[in-house]
Amino acid sequence: MTTSKHQRQALRELLRRAYREKEKVEVGDQWQEEVMRRIGELGEIEVSPSYLVMLEQLVWRLVPVTCILIIGLTVLLSSFDFISGYDVIQFTMNSTEQISLNQFLGL
Amino acid sequence: MDTDSYSSTDSEIVHQVVSGDVNAFARLLKRYQAHVVGIVKKHVPFDQVEEVAQDVFVRVYQSLPTFKGNDRFKQWLSTITIRTCYDFWRKQYRHREIPLSSLSDRHQLWLEEVTSKSSSQFFSERDSQEEAKEILDWALDRLSPEDRMVLELVYLEGYSIKEAANLLGWTSVNVKVRSFRARKKLHKLIEDMS
Repeated sequence: MTTSKHQRQALRELLRRAYREKEKVEVGDQWQEEVMRRIGELGEIEVSPSYLVMLEQLVWRLVPVTCILIIGLTVLLSSFDFISGYDVIQFTMNSTEQISLNQFLGL
Repeated sequence: MDTDSYSSTDSEIVHQVVSGDVNAFARLLKRYQAHVVGIVKKHVPFDQVEEVAQDVFVRVYQSLPTFKGNDRFKQWLSTITIRTCYDFWRKQYRHREIPLSSLSDRHQLWLEEVTSKSSSQFFSERDSQEEAKEILDWALDRLSPEDRMVLELVYLEGYSIKEAANLLGWTSVNVKVRSFRARKKLHKLIEDMS
């Protein structure tokens, strides 16, 4: 059976009234206590920090490690004979072919 | 309502709770329990109202750190309440714990009469209201949780598409399309029955 627009409108009105006529529900003190008991079980809220704060914390944590690493490397380098990169390349170039560094770099 | 006998705003109480004063949450609970229960009772079965309302407040408590102090707390709370009701129906739909109700000849007769009489004539009788409720529950039980929520908010409660979209966290287009389809499904269910 198909219904007309008017009938649908009437039906909607009836359904809306029925929907609004729901039973009255009242919650008491016991219900509140139960909610608070559940909240208490969860404990204090742990607020997770934002990404910016987390990044900042990470950076500060890495600072001592970075300082130690820099000092260590400085000591290590100073204890060896320092050969510059240019010297190494020049040595390699001279030992193989007569190509200047400028040619090698395409300049 | 923003203040109570403690004269603290919602934002102040939220701040206290987030700072570690768990008991301050009882003030929010007291202030808004009627509001939450009022929403929940429209969307879930009578015997489930108290439990779902509890779930709402637990969810609110857990979500407090995400509440921005400038937002209206009541509006934020309503959104969580509607989404908790929607989750309730999603769970029910997956497990189908509640058996689908069936209708009798009495309901079919009621529908036939509704389509021949005017609604004002009909609702003068208390029995008619009961039948309308049973038919509505019967039809809503046969819809998906999404269709059900949209239908209840837009078709039965009269929320605008935008308001319903905000409450459910969906796009307006999604709500509009689903509302249209859900209404068609409801009418088809009722027409087929009669």
